[in-house]
Amino acid sequence: MKNVLNSLLFLVFTNSVFAAEIILQDPKVNDEAPLFSVIDSDGTQINLSDFRGKPVILEWTNHECPYVAKHYSENNMQALQKMAQDEDIVWLSIISSTLGEQGHVDASTANKLSKTRNAYPTHVLLDESGEVGMKYGAKTTPHMYMIDRNGVLRYKGAIDDVGRGMQFFSASLQDAFNYVATQLDALQEATQLEIGSTIPYGCSVKYNYD
Amino acid sequence: MLLANPVETGHAKASLITNLQSSDQESFYVGVRLQMQDGWHTYWENPGDSGSPFEANWSTDDGVIIENVQWPTPITIPYPPLMTYGYEGDIVFPFQVFRSQETELKTISVDFNFLICADICIPESASLSLDLSSALPSEILNTQINNLPTKTINTNSSIGDDNLVISFQSTESFSNAYLFPRESGNFFYPENQLLEQIDDTNYKISIPLLDSNLSAFSGILSLDGNGFQIKEQFSSQGGISLWQAILFALIGGLILNLMPCVFPVISLKVLSFVSMGGDDHTKIRNHALAFVGGVMSTFLSIAAALMIIRSSGSMIGWGYQLQSPVVVGILTLIMLGIGLILLTNINIGTGLTTLGNSVQSKNDYSGSFFTGVLAVVVASPCTAPFMGAAVGYALLQPSFATLPIFLSLGLGFAGPYVVLALKPEWISSLPKPGAWMETLKQFFAFPMIATALWLMWVFMVQTSGDALIQLLILGLVLGIAIWMIATFKSSWKWIGLIATVILSIQIFNNLPSPISSDQNNSNATNWSLVSEPNLQANNQAYLINFTAAWCITCQTNEKAALSRPSVQEYLSAQNITYIKADWTNRNEEIAAGLAKYNRSGIPLYIFWKPGMAESKILPAVLTEDILLRNLK
Repeated sequence: MKNVLNSLLFLVFTNSVFAAEIILQDPKVNDEAPLFSVIDSDGTQINLSDFRGKPVILEWTNHECPYVAKHYSENNMQALQKMAQDEDIVWLSIISSTLGEQGHVDASTANKLSKTRNAYPTHVLLDESGEVGMKYGAKTTPHMYMIDRNGVLRYKGAIDDVGRGMQFFSASLQDAFNYVATQLDALQEATQLEIGSTIPYGCSVKYNYD
Repeated sequence: MLLANPVETGHAKASLITNLQSSDQESFYVGVRLQMQDGWHTYWENPGDSGSPFEANWSTDDGVIIENVQWPTPITIPYPPLMTYGYEGDIVFPFQVFRSQETELKTISVDFNFLICADICIPESASLSLDLSSALPSEILNTQINNLPTKTINTNSSIGDDNLVISFQSTESFSNAYLFPRESGNFFYPENQLLEQIDDTNYKISIPLLDSNLSAFSGILSLDGNGFQIKEQFSSQGGISLWQAILFALIGGLILNLMPCVFPVISLKVLSFVSMGGDDHTKIRNHALAFVGGVMSTFLSIAAALMIIRSSGSMIGWGYQLQSPVVVGILTLIMLGIGLILLTNINIGTGLTTLGNSVQSKNDYSGSFFTGVLAVVVASPCTAPFMGAAVGYALLQPSFATLPIFLSLGLGFAGPYVVLALKPEWISSLPKPGAWMETLKQFFAFPMIATALWLMWVFMVQTSGDALIQLLILGLVLGIAIWMIATFKSSWKWIGLIATVILSIQIFNNLPSPISSDQNNSNATNWSLVSEPNLQANNQAYLINFTAAWCITCQTNEKAALSRPSVQEYLSAQNITYIKADWTNRNEEIAAGLAKYNRSGIPLYIFWKPGMAESKILPAVLTEDILLRNLK
């Protein structure tokens, strides 16, 4: 609640005409994850509550963003998706790029991307209004969220520890400390994780900010 | 790899420039200039919600050190709801270069990797090289260096209601203010920050906090693009606040009364009050006030002098007055003279030396005033150990903070007399006057002479044994002069005085020029500004000892800890390079080194070993245990 108030205060301070449309929330780790309902690349309406009983991972993505591109070209993201699939964890890749901005894709392109990149998302969610992104305060691509089987948010932040700085582009992602991979098992316990929140890195999410 | 200059990277033109003027400069700058296409930007060290600062990998010859970049003042680049911090258009990133004079200037090269963004982001890179032997100095680089946010601004901060509130003062008006936090992770990055104007020159700016357990803040305050460095500590570790400094100064001033060189002078003043008896309270009060006045005006003059020297741009630190052998020599003679006067029970009727006398002249309060002045003068060599932190802080503050600290120091020093002025009747509780006063007075000669001996040693370290002998001869002449003044009447008195003055001038004119004193500790390396970056680059652990002969605390630490065999063995066993920066004589480079650690005084001990992100400041008072524990 406090964060909502905070955001409202910003709204007052920022004097932005469009501010009402672009407030980022800041959901608290170990509180209930914000519920959402959005269409996926197969045209199905997906509700977060559908997955109660299974852990869920949210991945904000934009295939044209160089940070995301590196995670996919080195097969790092796909490997992580495979690990999650093997542990019966739901993986939702979310595209919040608005129409006309980098990373925005239609349903068929989204499916083609999964196929050509050999990716294993359970669903690819098309959030072109940015509604889900704002509920979660998604700032960057990639930006990761881990939700346990009871619907409690357990992790938000970066995928790994190599993103702050240009060394990212020369670093080996396999050698990085991956916050999601290392905490997959612990997520099954549905208790507080050792690392609950980190600073995300990457490209900005291309919301509708015109 | 193809080396070139400039390089088109895709959305920017990158070039390497320098401000090197002549080939014998030991310190100069190189700069990476990025001329970005319209609508494209790159990032500050904290990029904000997304993005990344650049990465520069230099290749140079041995003996050339390239420091980290000195970031220009960033601008806000909003992409609502996100906020990023960076630069647009034509920007230069300056890097300071140090090199030893033996090193020949050759080509300097850099791999410059940066993220350049418009709506979308692209990592670009340039391999640049510059031949320093033929490069022309760049005006653009000099302009950028002049505009770097190196100025500091006086601030006060508090954490409240999920906001960090920073109060600052600005005499110049501005229309836009933004505070850029250097560390990521503690703040939200709003598009505008709440700015309140308190009065004509005082403002408050708030930034929303993510994490209210903030222990420190550092960043850049931009007022219409003019950048100021901001540094705030919220825990007491490391820095001290103005109020703490004032309190320390007050306590320190009080303690000063007990120093061997001050106590005698002060107690004699008290004794003179005692002999006045408890009868005339008004007189006691007036004398006490005159003394307090003497103390306070002397401290004020010192503060004013320091501020004038500082405003002229000189690097000064506390204790710096002892860096001049002439000052040390004069102080030696003053101590010796007071010692002799006390010991021989000579009454000298001038203003300065009503010292040991009961106050004979009924209404002559100037004697008490000058005793106050004298007390501060003789106290000056003893101030450093107690005053270090407070005075060091005072000297780094703007004038409005320097003055209260010095005033508080004086008030502490004069504290007993302030009490006496308020409650003159308390004098009656002191012992009755009598012969014991004479005995005590004579005994007080010895702490004074001991102080003189210590100053002689400092003098010898600063100059030479020959110079010391000359000083001692001067001491002898002074002794004779005092004896003559006391024993003979009229003209002989003056002959003695004049002879002393002439001889003093003669001897001080012939002082050999100061030599440095590195010989004490043969296993210590000499310090220079590049020592630290050099050693860190080579992954070599080190311990730096900023010291001086006149710094008693430093000497004590050296005896009690640094020169102990166990410590020296530990240093060599752990392969820790031991470096000494000897500040016995004035040295701008060392003053600049101290300023890097926000210090203006010594002792200062710096330790670093591989694996540590930043070097660590060791405690100012060391024992073997404390030191070894800190090195582990």
